[in-house]
This record gives sequence, structure tokens and C-alpha cells, in this order.
Amino acid sequence: MAMEYFSGVSDALRLTFVQVMIMANLSIGIFIIGMYINIRKWGMGSTGYGDSPAKNLLAFPKMLAYQMSEHAHVHNQSVISTLILDVVLQRRILNRSPLRWFMHFTIFVGWMTLFVLSLAMFLVEMIHLVGAQVGLHGLPEFMNPAVFRELLAVPNDIFSYILLIGIIIAIYRRLFVTKVREATIAYDSILLIGLTIITISGFIADGIRTGRFWNLSFLGLDIPIEYAPPAALFHVVISLLFCIAYIPFSKYIHMIAIPLALLANKGGE
Amino acid sequence: MAKREPSINTENFTAVQIMELDACSRCGECVDWCPTYDASGKDPGLAPRDKILRWKDYINKAYGLRATLFGPKEIPEEEIEQFKDDVYGCTTCGICATVCESAINTVELWESMRANLVKRGNGPYGKQGMFLKLISEYKNPYMADNKDRINWFPEDIKVEDKAEILYFGGCTAELKQRKLALATGRLLNKLDIKFTMLGEDEICCGSALIRTGQYYVNDAAKVNAQANIDNIKAKGAKIVLYACAGCFRASLVDWPRLTGKELPFKVMHITQYLQDLIEKDEIKWEKSIDKKVTYHDPCHLGRHVGVFEPPRAVLESIPGIEFIEMERTENDQRCCGAGGGVKAGMPDLALSVASTRVQEDALATEADILSSACPFCKRNLSDGRDAVGAKDLEVEDVVVLAAEAMGIDLSDAPE
Repeated sequence: MAMEYFSGVSDALRLTFVQVMIMANLSIGIFIIGMYINIRKWGMGSTGYGDSPAKNLLAFPKMLAYQMSEHAHVHNQSVISTLILDVVLQRRILNRSPLRWFMHFTIFVGWMTLFVLSLAMFLVEMIHLVGAQVGLHGLPEFMNPAVFRELLAVPNDIFSYILLIGIIIAIYRRLFVTKVREATIAYDSILLIGLTIITISGFIADGIRTGRFWNLSFLGLDIPIEYAPPAALFHVVISLLFCIAYIPFSKYIHMIAIPLALLANKGGE
Repeated sequence: MAKREPSINTENFTAVQIMELDACSRCGECVDWCPTYDASGKDPGLAPRDKILRWKDYINKAYGLRATLFGPKEIPEEEIEQFKDDVYGCTTCGICATVCESAINTVELWESMRANLVKRGNGPYGKQGMFLKLISEYKNPYMADNKDRINWFPEDIKVEDKAEILYFGGCTAELKQRKLALATGRLLNKLDIKFTMLGEDEICCGSALIRTGQYYVNDAAKVNAQANIDNIKAKGAKIVLYACAGCFRASLVDWPRLTGKELPFKVMHITQYLQDLIEKDEIKWEKSIDKKVTYHDPCHLGRHVGVFEPPRAVLESIPGIEFIEMERTENDQRCCGAGGGVKAGMPDLALSVASTRVQEDALATEADILSSACPFCKRNLSDGRDAVGAKDLEVEDVVVLAAEAMGIDLSDAPE
């Protein structure tokens, strides 16, 4: 079966595949450098209260391990409880604001699931391509990229809309809730704008490929299918840049720092 | 050319604390709950969220990407000085940590910022600068002769030379609010509990120095903590009782951290001790207190170390008391405004916070008595009560109420 287009890998567009691979590696490289700078910055602190600054890369993991093993005076929540209740279920947000929890949780679930689904699609494509080169045959039917793509179609749709719901609430709050609007700074806006562009571009790329609603026909544009690969390429590139490369340098760092803070403080007071 | 030195450094910060600056999602919960931000007329500089953002910006200017590539970016001195003023406008009550969705340990963060700024030469704030000198010279922050800690005790109070129970009175109860120390001493006597005290060998617990970021100077807080621990051990104590929330918190959390060792004795707030006795039915109440009583959780006893229930258990067991909760209690409690050096450094701000607590929370319960379990809270809540003109509202410590209900006469308490 010919592969017209999947998640950026295309028989017809070898250039696209190469571009995406370069971009992916570049993004991962930028992410690693950014995290190195952050961990080095965090490591400018000490490994114990009142101690002199350690100023080395291991200071952060050492202090984190120390705090996670330290006896807490208010409560001693286990790591497993913290991971499930606070990191995954985000109980602390729910305790403060059910609406904000719903917004954040839909974004979190939508985002993480789409990331995992995209990764799975990418792996199947890679296995398929490499398999074709090395003469690997006999893979299960569902490992065929075309079949696998169809398998993912429904969950992709569901979690895309879950993500979109969260984003719409977030945009509404930033624009129409006075207190939130007045407190918004570029640091917050960039995160939301990036997320919105990635999500909408994903819907549009998919809409052009399938010819459904999101091909902007409702605006009278009805973008032809030839634009599907570049639209998908745009979506993939901007996703890689925002979702991976930009994390250490922006508010996206909270995706890493908040779980670490929750673990360090045993879920907090 | 030599690289420019960063305007700020990471002294007194742990690696996890620097990471926590990146964990702020700027949700604004801390701003909604901060008592000093509220009492200041919503001064944006006092908003916890913005303090985190500013310090994070300073750290990035010193050690972030740009600093890595091109060298640190200078931060104007006026900006750091303004930041210092703002970071001291905090009672370290910890409500920001309680509501923080990212679980940032903000109290520790503020104290680290303060210590860093003291080391840098910016802090502390106003009269707080006297704490170190006074405590070093007098062993208490009130410029009182340390011999006067318990030499005023009436003769009926029996304090053992050595005992397994030690009552650590604290500077405020022994030197300023002596009714509390008197009540505690007589209450323990009445319960036939043999106890000892440190007397003139007692040194300030260090809370004032630690909360205002001055603990490391000359290692004063560490030296004093160790001296207190050694003196307590020499008295043969196995359990140390506290009627002061600030001393209790300092002993439980700060002393082990400062000395790097676990305490060789158990520390208990006296309400915890009384609760145990009540549960064993070992307290005989002799007098009914027929009043409506509400309870203010001291930050250092409640949010900081999780002692919420014992003071309530004591109040609820006293005959005649109609116990009523304020709207904001326990983890959500509103600070009295005295902590974190604010009472000494920014008395107007402290009074404004206390007035809010009395006006909006205590008076709404229509209670006759606003009780607490901390002499510092009592002092500031009394000031707040006076400021709002609520002259019918009595402010009293739980231990004093318990002593009175046990039929103990405190009419000879010094002013």
C-alpha cells in the first residue's frame, strides 16, 4: 500500500522526511542544551540548608534526593501518592479551583496523549521504513502505517478536542476574566499562543488531508489536498520547536519543574 | 577582559529552591490569599507571585542562557533595595505555600531570599537589625536582664532543678506576657507534673533571627540553638513543652536543621500535652467558662507544623465554652500579622493585618473570646482588636483559659 502521507513521513516527499528528522534532532539538541543550562543554574544552589552553594551539576539531583527522603513535619506522603494524586491527577489545582483544574487537566491529558500517539505513529513508520530496507517481513497487520494511522484516528480526534476545550477555556480566562487578564505577561501569553498555534495547525493539517471541516471550507477556503504535506510539515516543525526545543527557555519549563517541586516537597503543605 | 560578577548570587539557596522558581505557574492563588498584600491595599510588590518572578529574573540575569553566553546582566541597586523592602513585607505565615498549586515551599524561599540579602548587605528591615545585637548581648530581644526570665515567679510555683519535663518559656511569655508563663507553671503544678525550666540559661530560640534571614551571621542562631539543647539535656529533660508557637516551631524544625542533628528530646506544644491528659481523663475542670470562644491558629503551630486539633480539643473540653470556628481556620487561616519580623519592622502593616483578622473573621463569629496558642498572636490580635474598637472582645491564650477552668487564680499575674 502506498503511503501518501502520515505524520511527516512520506514516500513521495523524501525531502519532508529528511527535514523533519533534522528538525527533530535539532529540537532535541536545543532541549538538551537548555536543560543543561537550567540544571547548571539550579546547581548553583547548595545541597543542604545553610550550606555553601555547591555550584555543580549534581547539586540539584542530590538535593532533590535528600528532600524526597527527608522526614516531613506536616505529612510524609509517599512518592507514589505524590505521583498519582498530585502530578497526574493534579489534586492541588482541583483543591483551589475546579474550573482551572478542568482547564489544565484537559490540556494536560490532551497534550500528553497526543504526544504519545504521535510518538507511536512515528515509531511504526520508522519500523516500516527500516523494515523495508533490511527486508523485515511478517510484521502484524496493525503495524502497517496505513492501518495504524486509521487505528489512531479516533483517539487522535478525541484527545485533540479535549485539548482544544482546555485551550478555549484558557484563552477565555486570559481575555475576559479581568483579574487574570491584568496579571498576564508575555511569559504567560507565549505559552498559550504557542499551544494554540500547534493545536489549530494540527486540526487544519488533518482537515486538509481528510477534506473535513477543518480544511477551512466553512470559511469558503476549501484548501486542496496538495497542501496537506506542507501543512503537516508546518504543524510538526512548530510542535517540535515549541514542545521540545523551547521548553527549557520558557514557561513550558513548568512541565518539568512542577512535578519536581511536588516530589521534592512531598506534594506540598 | 574579566567577566562581570553577577549582581546577586545563590548564597543561602538550595538547588531545589532555585528550581522552584521555575515551577511557578503564575496561577495567582498566593496573591488572592496573601494577608500582607491584602492589608497593604494590594501593593503589587508584596504579591508572592511577583516576588518569585523577580528573583527568578535576577537568577536568570546572573546564571541563565544570556549570562552563560554574554556574561551576567547588571541589576540596578535601587531595584534590589526595593525587592528587599518587599520581601520583608511578609509574615512568613505560609498561606502562599498552602495554596500553591506547584507545592513551592515559599516560606523557605522567602527566608532564603532574606538571608541572601542580609549577606549582600541589603537586609534586614528597619528595627529587625537590632535583633542580632540584642540577642547576642542579652540572650533575648527585649533588652531584659536574662535573670528576670523566671525570678519573678511567685513562691507557690514549684520549678524543679532537674526533671523529665522541661517548660521552655520563651522570651515573650517570660519577659513580656507573664500571665501565660504564670498560667503554664501553675497549671503543671496543679496537675502534679514535676517540671524544670532553663531560667537565666535560656536563650532566645532563634525564631526572630531565622525568620528575618539573620540566622547565619556569626552562626548566632546555631550557637544559641546548640546551647539551649545542651542546657535542656543537662536538666535531664526528655520532653520539652512550649506555650509559644514560634519557639515550638524553631525547636522542632529549625534547631535540628541548624545543628545538623536530631533533637535528643521530644518537643511538644503544651496543648498537645494537655490533649493527651484530657483523653486520659487526668484533668479535673473546676470552673465553667460560660462564654463563646473562637480560636485563631498561629501560623507557626498550625500551617508550619500541622498542630491544629489539640488547642481545639482543650477548648472544647472546658465546661461552659461554646466553641465556634471562624470562617478561615486551620490551613486556610488568616495570619495575625505579627510574624516574620513584620511586627518589629513594619508595625503599621502588622496592625493592618491584625485588624482585618479581628474585623472580618473574629467579630463575625460574635465570640466573647478570641483565643490563640501563641503570645505573639495574642499581642498583635489585641492591638488589632483595639484598632477596630472591638473593646468587648477578649483576646486570651488557650493555656490561660485552661488554667482558669482548672480553678487556678491568675489575678496576681504581672502586667
